[in-house]
Amino acid sequence: MNNKKIYAGTGIGAAALLAVFFLYTNPTVLVYGVQRAGIYAAIALPMALVLGIVHIVNLAHGEMMMVAAYLSYFISKTFGLDPLLAAIPTGIIMFFLGILIFKTTISHTLNAPELNQLILTFGVAMVLSQTVNLMATSQPRKISLDYVSSSATFGNVSFGVYDFIFPALAIVFLLILMYFLKKTRLGKAASAVGQNPRGARIVGINVDLTYTVIFAIASAVIGIFGSFFITKFSIFPAVGGAYTMKSFALVAMAGIGKLPQIIIASLILGVAESFVMSIPGGAGWAPMIFFSLIIIVILSRSFRSKQ
Amino acid sequence: MSKKLSALTIVLLFLLSMGSVFAGGQDDGDVKPIKFGGVWPLGDITGAQASKAAQLVVDELNANGGLLGRPVELIVIDSEFNPEKGAAAIERLATVDKVDFFVGGMSSGVHLGQIPTLKKYKKVTMWTGAASHVAENAVGSDQDWYFHLHPWDYNQGASYVEGWNDIAEKYPEISIKKWFLAYEEGPFGSASFEATKTLFADMQIDGEAFQSAAAGGGDYTAVLQRAKEYDPDVFIWAGYGADALPMMEQAKAVNFSPALFVGAPPGWPSDFGESKLAENVTLYGMWAPSLNIVSEMSKKFYGEYVTKYSEEPATYFAPLGYTSIDIIAKAVVIAGSVETDAVITALKEISYQSPLGETISFGPANVISNQGFRQQKILQWQDGVQQVIWPFEFATAKPTYPFESWK
Amino acid sequence: MSEAVQRKKTLPYIFMALGIVILIMPFFSGPYIQSIGRTVLTYMILAISWDMLIRSGQLSFGIAGFFGLGSYTAVLSAVNLSFGPFMSIIAAAVIAGAIAFLVGAVVLRLRGMYFAITTLALGELFKITIHNWHDFTGGPNGMLLPKLAFDGASIPTYAMMLVFALGIIALSEYFKKSKIHYALTAIRDNEIVAKSSGINIYKFLLIAFTITAAIQGAAGAGFAQLYGFVTPESSFNANYTLIPLAMALLGGMYSTWGPVIGAVVLGVLGEFLKLFIPYGHLVVYGIIIILVLLFMPQGIAGLVSKTLKKRGESYE
Repeated sequence: MNNKKIYAGTGIGAAALLAVFFLYTNPTVLVYGVQRAGIYAAIALPMALVLGIVHIVNLAHGEMMMVAAYLSYFISKTFGLDPLLAAIPTGIIMFFLGILIFKTTISHTLNAPELNQLILTFGVAMVLSQTVNLMATSQPRKISLDYVSSSATFGNVSFGVYDFIFPALAIVFLLILMYFLKKTRLGKAASAVGQNPRGARIVGINVDLTYTVIFAIASAVIGIFGSFFITKFSIFPAVGGAYTMKSFALVAMAGIGKLPQIIIASLILGVAESFVMSIPGGAGWAPMIFFSLIIIVILSRSFRSKQ
Repeated sequence: MSKKLSALTIVLLFLLSMGSVFAGGQDDGDVKPIKFGGVWPLGDITGAQASKAAQLVVDELNANGGLLGRPVELIVIDSEFNPEKGAAAIERLATVDKVDFFVGGMSSGVHLGQIPTLKKYKKVTMWTGAASHVAENAVGSDQDWYFHLHPWDYNQGASYVEGWNDIAEKYPEISIKKWFLAYEEGPFGSASFEATKTLFADMQIDGEAFQSAAAGGGDYTAVLQRAKEYDPDVFIWAGYGADALPMMEQAKAVNFSPALFVGAPPGWPSDFGESKLAENVTLYGMWAPSLNIVSEMSKKFYGEYVTKYSEEPATYFAPLGYTSIDIIAKAVVIAGSVETDAVITALKEISYQSPLGETISFGPANVISNQGFRQQKILQWQDGVQQVIWPFEFATAKPTYPFESWK
Repeated sequence: MSEAVQRKKTLPYIFMALGIVILIMPFFSGPYIQSIGRTVLTYMILAISWDMLIRSGQLSFGIAGFFGLGSYTAVLSAVNLSFGPFMSIIAAAVIAGAIAFLVGAVVLRLRGMYFAITTLALGELFKITIHNWHDFTGGPNGMLLPKLAFDGASIPTYAMMLVFALGIIALSEYFKKSKIHYALTAIRDNEIVAKSSGINIYKFLLIAFTITAAIQGAAGAGFAQLYGFVTPESSFNANYTLIPLAMALLGGMYSTWGPVIGAVVLGVLGEFLKLFIPYGHLVVYGIIIILVLLFMPQGIAGLVSKTLKKRGESYE
């Protein structure tokens, strides 16, 4: 217990020191780092939910986000909606699409080894991205939005402020998911199912329903994120793949089952990458920082737990 | 035991049937068709449109009685952006379909894997893609059968130097002394940067890499901040279509507005022209629909394509795919045969009016002996349309300068 | 009962006979089939090597990383030290194995998803380092191999890959019969029991990790020798991790023949579909992967042995 406090204390202290240092030397590092972290956290949270709470390995995570982004794009175009408003119908559609994907495929592998889920969802990912490719071609699409470029100027530095919507979104996701897991019956049931499905069944929890709902909620969250995604990024059929890997990495770094730690992991990665990129010639090394940090954190945690 | 045996028989039969499909070059009666084998990434819009455009020429030839009185056939195989699959496709076209000519090509990475196989067969090969000089080295010198339509990376760089010097000379108000190049960190962007740095050695030039959205990135703020501090006359970004609009939006957010804002992706997003931010963005490209005004060939190609597929050709790979077949067909007519040496001789002397505007003939590049296109064009987005501003002979509009700052 | 045992004994021979037919067939069917065959064999080698490690329960996502490392080692050793094809493949195996040994000493204490993600991240680190080390590795544009193995001739290169694959099959079978196998299986079944029964878990895991990484590196070198180039994008392509996994799983894990069958079926299927559905064959490919996993959770080999076993039991 004491040890834990010391670790936390040193961590917070070091973070505060770094923050002051960046604010002083190069404030944009912090600004962009936090914005970046928001994107990481928002997309990793739904994966943290399905992987961490009910232990479903979903390699189609990024592809589902891509499908949501396309849905949102076409909803916005057809009805002249702002993508941020289209997040609502997209989230609802994705909720049901999540149920569909879960019921037709993943639910049949719950008793099989995790690897079967892995390759099954790899197949799902392939079907999703290739179908979108057939229907919408590989040509990228992007809705042009004025508010995305809104900026603030301090002294002689201008920077975009719209992207702060991502950290805000991540916090909202986290709060909702935490509330759901801690305060609702279904959420508590989910934690029980995750820890011991057989035991949960014995005490009368509807295990299948719990799995389905958790996956559907995660899909809805992915759907909402997809709508936010198209405000900042172009979309194309292969856009999701990179986010699956990054989400996995983040969940592993945060520790499986630990949702709030996703935010911390994202902040560390976001600010570190942003710092490296602010150094001339540093852009090529940003992914190096990303993966090195993940390895270091995973290893150091394992060493600590062994002691 | 008998069940086991029957299972074994079924599996063997299945294999045999597969084998027959693999080995099945079909016979088309008495007149043997002239066959073109094409390998493009069909899942990508570049390859899909190039192969469709190539089919246009084949249809037209057949409608006019074929080539040398023989029907013409195009067999297209998907390279799946995968060197192994791309190489296997060449093997199949050569040995199973027994094609007379190879066409195709988009990515350099796939091409590198195909070159050893292409060298094995040494059929007349008309390549529409692969800009990397490493691919040129892989082909090597004295390969007379190899024809490369797409400009190499250094060709492109050299043509920009030429273009900008021409423009600066004609419009003295345009300043091109100080350059900043934002380049995606993959082979395409970094080769562009290397080439530009050498070619623009007498000017002030700096650059910085970014991770393209196509590779999982999409955050350009760091590179844009750097560019803004450098304050260049010309800002160029070399990335992909997915980077286009976010690049503009983020440039506006950091309040960076150079006098010339140049984008150099191989293709643009379908809705880029609709954005307000597109106005006066300069771009590098090989073809745009506006060329129809100044080039009869472009107009013909465009008309045929839109009529048959009811979509607009969205990348220059479409007219390149068209060219690849058309130019060989013309050479075959001149040569009067499909025999490799005769066609090579005809191709070396041909002067071909291309749907990309320019009239090309083949000549040596740094390593290979038959290079087709060497030039890129400089265009500008004006009122949602790509207008050609250089070479002046194909110009459809005058450059607007400076790039309007964000209001 | 004796019938069932008999069946169990004959089963491998049937597979072997079938396998030999499939592996020899390409010699008589032209360069196209040989080219497909080479690719299938490359993936087969990767799938078996991956399976050899998963028998201990350790899930590696690092195949592409070691494969790419091997490819680069082969080309760099050929360019800088003028190694021939054989030497360059050996060099690749040694380098990949040595790096795996060093890394494994630290990483093998991790389990499950943490081990998987860490091996994935390691692969990415190799790729980024090579990508950024312009002067030595050619950077993002990659490098060329000065001379291909057997000048790229179809039959000898297929034979080369076939010998390589047969060697790995033999090694995997040897593994299954050796002390290592019992140790690894014990680790997978119950690590704590294995530990308390005096098995040096760490040593056996390290041996398995090093050997499989060396195989993957050698496979990468084989790729470089066949196609004559390396680039970070193609040599470290994530497909080299995912496809062998899918093959092993579809064929049947924890065996030698499962990955062999999976590689042949998936590899041939991919080409087959493409010829019928030029635009959109990958959708069908994905659907087939899904269907096989839903209806044959034990893979093809698992299904076959299950049916045979059932029939065997019915005789009792």
